[in-house]
Amino acid sequence: MATLSFRGVQKSYRSGSRSAPELSMVLHGVDLEVADGEFIALVGPSGCGKSTLLRCVAGLEEITAGDLLIGERKVNDVAPKDRDVAMVFQSYALYPHLTVKENMAFALRLQKHPETEARVAEAAEMLGLTPLLARLPKELSGGQRQRVAMGRAIVRRPAVFLFDEPLSNLDAALRQQMRSELRRRHKLLRTTTLYVTHDQVEALTLADRIVVLNGGVVQQVGTPDELYFDPANRFVAKFIGSPTMNFLEHDPGRPLKPGQQADNQTAPPGEVIGVRPNDVVVHRDGQPDHGLPDPGLAATVEFVERLGFEAMVHLRVAGGAPAAGGAQDPLLMARVEGEAPSPGESVSLTFTRSYRFETATGARVRR
Amino acid sequence: MSLILFGLQLLSAPAAATEITLWHAWRGEERAVLEELTSEYQSAHPGDQIELVSVPYESLASKLEAAVPRGNGPDLFIFAHERLGDWVKTALIQPVGPAADYTDAAHGALAGDDSLLYGWPLATKCLALFYNRALVPVPPETTDDLLRLADQLRDHPTEPTRWGFAWEATSAYHNAPFMHGFGGGALVDGRAQLDRPENRAAFAFIQQLAALGPAETSGALITQLFNSGKVAMVPNGPWFLGEIEPQERGGPDFAVAPLPRVSSTGLPAAPYLTVEALFLAGRPAPSTREADGLARDFAAYLQRPDIAGRRAAEGKQVVPGAGGAPAALPDDPVLAAFQRQADLAVPMPTVPAMAQTWEPLARALRRLVRGAATPEQAAAEAQTTWLVVSRPEAPTVDGRPFAWLLGLGLALGAAWAVRQMYVANVVKAWREYLWVAPGGLAVVLLVVAPFVVGASVSLFEVSGSASDGTWRFVGFAHFTDILLSRDFPLTDASTRALSFWYTLAVTLIWTLTNVVLHVSLGVFLALMLREPWVKVRGVFRALLILPWAVPNYITALAWKGMFHQQFGAINALLGICGIAPVSWFAQWTTAFAANVATNTWLGFPFMMVVTLGALQSVSREVEEAAELDGATGWQKFWLVTLPMLKPALLPAVILGSVWTFNMFNVIFLVSGGEPDGSTDILVSQAYRWAFTRGHRYGYGAAYAVIIFGVMVVQSRLLNRVAGRKVL
Repeated sequence: MATLSFRGVQKSYRSGSRSAPELSMVLHGVDLEVADGEFIALVGPSGCGKSTLLRCVAGLEEITAGDLLIGERKVNDVAPKDRDVAMVFQSYALYPHLTVKENMAFALRLQKHPETEARVAEAAEMLGLTPLLARLPKELSGGQRQRVAMGRAIVRRPAVFLFDEPLSNLDAALRQQMRSELRRRHKLLRTTTLYVTHDQVEALTLADRIVVLNGGVVQQVGTPDELYFDPANRFVAKFIGSPTMNFLEHDPGRPLKPGQQADNQTAPPGEVIGVRPNDVVVHRDGQPDHGLPDPGLAATVEFVERLGFEAMVHLRVAGGAPAAGGAQDPLLMARVEGEAPSPGESVSLTFTRSYRFETATGARVRR
Repeated sequence: MSLILFGLQLLSAPAAATEITLWHAWRGEERAVLEELTSEYQSAHPGDQIELVSVPYESLASKLEAAVPRGNGPDLFIFAHERLGDWVKTALIQPVGPAADYTDAAHGALAGDDSLLYGWPLATKCLALFYNRALVPVPPETTDDLLRLADQLRDHPTEPTRWGFAWEATSAYHNAPFMHGFGGGALVDGRAQLDRPENRAAFAFIQQLAALGPAETSGALITQLFNSGKVAMVPNGPWFLGEIEPQERGGPDFAVAPLPRVSSTGLPAAPYLTVEALFLAGRPAPSTREADGLARDFAAYLQRPDIAGRRAAEGKQVVPGAGGAPAALPDDPVLAAFQRQADLAVPMPTVPAMAQTWEPLARALRRLVRGAATPEQAAAEAQTTWLVVSRPEAPTVDGRPFAWLLGLGLALGAAWAVRQMYVANVVKAWREYLWVAPGGLAVVLLVVAPFVVGASVSLFEVSGSASDGTWRFVGFAHFTDILLSRDFPLTDASTRALSFWYTLAVTLIWTLTNVVLHVSLGVFLALMLREPWVKVRGVFRALLILPWAVPNYITALAWKGMFHQQFGAINALLGICGIAPVSWFAQWTTAFAANVATNTWLGFPFMMVVTLGALQSVSREVEEAAELDGATGWQKFWLVTLPMLKPALLPAVILGSVWTFNMFNVIFLVSGGEPDGSTDILVSQAYRWAFTRGHRYGYGAAYAVIIFGVMVVQSRLLNRVAGRKVL
């Protein structure tokens, strides 16, 4: 059990030829304080540096600059085996020639730990692996292997758990099951955990706090709610939430009303409006007026994805520009419960909540 | 097959009025002059046709032995006299006249036991003394002169870089002149008598002379030393002329003289004489009296003094005198010297006992030259070893019980084969089996048949040449002799190295040491090549695979040179470190180490390549998991990486151990079994029994069968270790 501190952690690789070396930065100075027992999810698109950050903690990659502390100890130059961290790999990385039991006991046997047998039995019981202890990894299913990988990490009782996309090789049902399993496990053990995933559902459901990384730069650190309801910038807003947020650029053909700085439907020049599909209200012709002074945005239904109880309605917003209704008009997605409009239908839209971002930097504009 | 084609070709040749065929293996000037003389003869005798057929030297004897008895052979052929005894016995050649008319060595070599002459001598070859005129103005007359010159011409008393005299000091052939000069020799009345006072005196002289010359001499080394002016005198044959650098390219200004007389006896140091003769085939192609007459007339023509003179002048041959009279000395001083030497030479004996003396003599000479034995001991040991290697033939055994057993075995085998055919549904699926048949036939012809023949030979005692020797059934006598180590008790240090069990122990140690080194070095290098800090990986990989790409006998010869005591690179390197030069092949441990070093150089690339391939499928993440689990570098390798490499490495180890177990080239070319055959392995021992100890084919074949058995047991054991069927 320990805290984990990143202080200006940088990682770069040397590439190119000897005469013209090129430095490619993978992590641009990451600052993060992880509390003891906290579950942190690292999310971001492919190549954003989240796995690299995890491998830096494990000691499998050296950091180029900055400090990394586990507890109070600076571990920049500490070998992986001396960092007291356990990692669950995406491929599980089980020892193919050892049985389940030997896999789980491996680390403790190296230490000649007196409680090896007891701890392995305990972990196997916890994970339902007891009947499989004598099997080899190749005789196990994907989910069983995943649990062995977890068991191998658990028996060590390390200061920090590192997970590198541990569920990405499982099918959807199993992934959901393992997700709740993980949550239960963490509640029980309360070990500081760093969890890399590209699946935001995992991040939102599991993590105490989420770190959003893009291009080696931390975009935002916050609780799932903070990230969802109060994104720091357009990247986070787009990355978190499914289906993703809609964005409406400034449209000169639909100017602001006099005396109005900006409403929640129209962006002033240099800004962009963001609205989540479930914050879009679709008003169909013939429906009673909603009583707002503004009739809302005019739009045409392009097509509808039915998802049973709800439907995703794809809309084309009519712009004020001469090419009204043309292909240049922005597309928007709305989540509609119950009966959905049919394609070709003209509707008007209002937003219950929207966000404004600077077009150039993507930074949030707060009123 | 080629023989059959060859025969057909001969049969289909149109029969002219009088036509004869002559097979020979001469090359270059010798061939040119033969062709010229033949065409001159034909123009002088219109209607007579002499067809010359040039056959490669290596295959001439076997072609003759195959073709002549079947009536497909030539009328005449040219060959060395060394197989005369066998050929007279098998009537491959016929007498050409009485031998009593001649007294010279060349004709003497062609005389049969029945006092008949079995061929016309055309050219002779023997050793003579080559000397560098810049260093030796007058060649030594006596052995005392020789010793004095050998001593004086050295440029340093203890660490010379130039010597007065060098010869292949451990070769029985090259020491025969001294043995003869001291009145000794290998044979007395067709039996080996190596331990006699004359030979002991010769050995003492040889030891003295060797101490004044360079160490560990070989033919190639002597050539090199003589060409670079680092040795003043070497005894060598006419073949050496082609190896001497011309003077304009920095070669020595040399001359040839007969070898010196031995001071204490006054006898000349007489080398062995090999005579190249024209033989009259015993059963030539459909022959007529005219053809026989033509053959004899052509032989007489080639021997005519003027024609012989032209063969000497144009063909650069050392021509013996015809009709017993010494031939006129040619103008060429080198040929003249060889001719004078030939008149003093001793014809190479052709009795079978001779073939068994080479190895005992060579072994004794090696110990003598190395200083491991006194002349008395060496002579005694040579005789003992001769007795051992010329061990009596196994007694004939009644073959009938074996025939019954064989019959029973064949019947059982046939029953099994029929059952297998039934199981495999051969009758129904005959078309499918037809497709496999060519492959099956190839396996039967190339693998099964030679194996059966080889295994059968081990039950016989074969004497004489392989093709027409006599075969006596001896049952399992060879196997019991070998396995009970009957003639070579392990307690007898002098012949222990010939014991099967001693050789087996050496072979097993040899295999184990090599495989351990190959695997550890190969795996280590493969892991290194994977390290990120290793740059230009492709270059290293190519360099490391290189030893594998070079034919192994070339590598073996190169390493043999590097281990030379005086000129080898290894001792030179040790010298830089201040370590005294090691005589690598004088002790078992160093000789064995030299073999192992060579074979490791040859063997590690294979293991490295296999490991590199296997590493592709080893997940890096698994190794990282081990690192995180607290494994040290060594633990990670031993507990994780190596077990993951095991499935690929195990078949490689089994293959490697089979190759090493039978690695004939390295043993034969590097240590050559030195010292005293103690580093021989089973397969080189089998070779020696079959080919250098008087052609004991049956005994050698029994060794081969036992080696096969050992290999079967070894691969079974390794399969068990692997826990699955690997080979």
